[in-house]
Amino acid sequence: MGIINLAPKILDPIPGGKYVVNAIDYVVNWARANSIWPLTYGTSCCAIEMMSSSMARYDIARFGSEVFRSSPRQADLFILAGTITRRMAPAIQMLWEQIPGPKYAIAMGACTISGGPFIYDNYSVVRGAQNLIPVDVFVPGCPPRPEALFHGLLTLREKILKETCRNPWQVGEPKDVSTMDRYREAAKTWAALEEMKDEEMAEARAKFKEENPDYKSSFKPIRIKKEDFPEVERVPFKRMGLTQSDIYAKLKEKFPAVTVHTHSEDPVEDVVAAMPADRPLEVMVTPEDYLPMVEFIKDEACLKMDYLIDIVGIDYDDHFDVVSQFRSMEHGHKLFLCLQLKKDFSIPEEQRATALLAHAPSISHLYPAAEFKEREVYDMFGIDFVGHPDQRRIFLDDDFVGYPLRKDFTHPEMIRRPV
Amino acid sequence: MTGMLPPGFRIQRETNTEEFFINMGPQHPSTHGALRLALRMDGETIVELVPHFGYIHRGMEKQAESMSYLQYIALSDRQDYLTAIQNNLGVVIALEKGMNIGVPEKAEYIRVMLQELGRIASHLVFFACFGGDLGGQTCLLYGFKEREMIHDILEEVTGSRLTTNFFRPGGSRYDVPDTFIPRVKAFLDHMDGTMKDYERFLSKNIIVLERSKGIGILSKEDAIAYGCSGPVLRASGVNFDVRRANPYSIYDSFDFEVPVTYNGDCYDRYTVRIAEIHESMKILRQCIDRFPTEGPWRSKEKPVRLPVGRYYSEIETAKGLYATYVVAATTGEKPYRIHTRGPSFPHIAALNKMVQGHKISDLVTILATLDPVIPEIDR
Ligand code: SF4
Repeated sequence: MGIINLAPKILDPIPGGKYVVNAIDYVVNWARANSIWPLTYGTSCCAIEMMSSSMARYDIARFGSEVFRSSPRQADLFILAGTITRRMAPAIQMLWEQIPGPKYAIAMGACTISGGPFIYDNYSVVRGAQNLIPVDVFVPGCPPRPEALFHGLLTLREKILKETCRNPWQVGEPKDVSTMDRYREAAKTWAALEEMKDEEMAEARAKFKEENPDYKSSFKPIRIKKEDFPEVERVPFKRMGLTQSDIYAKLKEKFPAVTVHTHSEDPVEDVVAAMPADRPLEVMVTPEDYLPMVEFIKDEACLKMDYLIDIVGIDYDDHFDVVSQFRSMEHGHKLFLCLQLKKDFSIPEEQRATALLAHAPSISHLYPAAEFKEREVYDMFGIDFVGHPDQRRIFLDDDFVGYPLRKDFTHPEMIRRPV
Repeated sequence: MTGMLPPGFRIQRETNTEEFFINMGPQHPSTHGALRLALRMDGETIVELVPHFGYIHRGMEKQAESMSYLQYIALSDRQDYLTAIQNNLGVVIALEKGMNIGVPEKAEYIRVMLQELGRIASHLVFFACFGGDLGGQTCLLYGFKEREMIHDILEEVTGSRLTTNFFRPGGSRYDVPDTFIPRVKAFLDHMDGTMKDYERFLSKNIIVLERSKGIGILSKEDAIAYGCSGPVLRASGVNFDVRRANPYSIYDSFDFEVPVTYNGDCYDRYTVRIAEIHESMKILRQCIDRFPTEGPWRSKEKPVRLPVGRYYSEIETAKGLYATYVVAATTGEKPYRIHTRGPSFPHIAALNKMVQGHKISDLVTILATLDPVIPEIDR
């Protein structure tokens, strides 16, 4: 648009030239505002509503935006649909730089406005797209309905129609990422304002009371009668395969050290026998027994735990629990092995937050599914899986400091939930 | 070559040809979200694939530790947003096990009906995206057309189109309106006709057959070893559906088939899902016939406090096995830890097995038939 931006300089001094410039503005804006092509970009839930809005029922084509371009080089509009994480932020800035100007951005959904549902206690979500790129229109909602997106689109259209080549569209620079905690400053200012407002209100109330000593409010709370619901007895779901007692007896026979975690005084056998039918048996295993036991339950014909559901880590004060959940495809019973790992407190205290505190044997050679699950536990808890072929961080960046699901994890960007 | 390998790749074999690496994502229209796939290519053939996750890791499990149980139900919507209503049930069943409360009959019927509607909606998105990824934009439009009808029903019942947040321990948030049953009936009648259209579109389409038959074969052993579930597992010849294998809610009282096919290729995964839509409609029909109009729609309201213990629930969502593991270390309203096992994670883990030897365009087909939802992997 270089030539057009020269037009006011050349034409404005000429008598009557103003009208020509206005006409150019009118034509250019008309063209721009009626064919805003969005980029196909979406990270999470809001993207589905964006897709819905381009389909038959809502039909975004009515507003000239039906051509979703897969390449940023052909797009005019960046609809930021979905949560933005710290790991995704550089990619978003790069996409924004790749879109040729004039370009516009719509932040769709609560996540891209402020972080939305992920604002508190979160170490990975960027609180608002305006921290990364200049945003033109914000569309609130979680997710916004397609109608709301259209309203945002029409608002953007109005904005475009007001542009003129006398004050041409400027490239908005991507923001410096170091300002990410701008939200916290805003929250402080906001809190100060709220306090001031509260004081003012209290003063006004006191004044009102002084002036009208015998004023009585006519407000009466209405009580909605709550419906009464009956108590219903819970019926456990049907059990498939072996009973918990049978599995426990089988394991006990081979590995005398297994137990079941219980708070009652009764013998373990009775506790196991009293379990509801739909509760999987969870046994405690020592690290030495773990690998042989996994091999045993995989190969033993009547157990045949050939399916790994998941591996879950749990952090306690002095130990980790790693719960491996198995199921038998053939029989339908489940077995959870809870591996207790003492934390290694010989590591000096100031290094503990970033050190691997425990070691566990890897079972990824028995169950290929375990490879990614163990990486997840390693990433979140800092538990070292001995024998794992490819132990890297899976969800977080390699240079991320600390292990987020530990209870003592802190992160400079985390805001505590106020209640 | 060894010193130059990007992270994640392992040396597999001696090669003479020049290999190169391609990066696909995290922003790519056919990775269904923010997933990054690193490919090692030999000419046009994929030698190895390494997925990189975490571009939409939202730290839900950390957040859950400072939330109440009820607040977590709202977060579960945002994991697999295509089956939000099913995720709600998965969490709620785990809470019910902990609180030891039951569910009245009418509430169970409401649950099952919404579950099946959610399943159909999710499979319709699969149909749309599968067609779209193969180049048939028409399918995109059609799949979303019928899905809007389900959204209308969901909106009328739950108040929200996508993120429903509907079930509660002991029942649900509200009763269903009187128009619910007639609407579902109308939807089913309409769907009968359109399903014929859909199948005419893709099932016998020569382009679809050529591009999906024999592509991305996952053997039965691999499917089990990698922990696949849902239609992907059933397309590989394993008859496993939690609704049958460990029936929850009142699923054992319905008459339906679990569709199983045996080739494990892309076309089978497609046919399994189409057959599942038919089965879901069958369940919905039975629900309509037996729906109790009288009776309570939830059990007595109680504060959601779980005694110390660990609770596990599993359900079958449209994508597969969705398991919730709740750890309560103190009796109270807050969890010590909640972990979710989403069905898509193992599918992407098994992707490397499926794509080897295929072309990049086949990778797009395979990815579409796995029907992954990335936020549910990363959480
Ligand atoms: S605003 Fe809500 S619906 Fe949209 S991406 Fe964020 S969590 Fe999902």
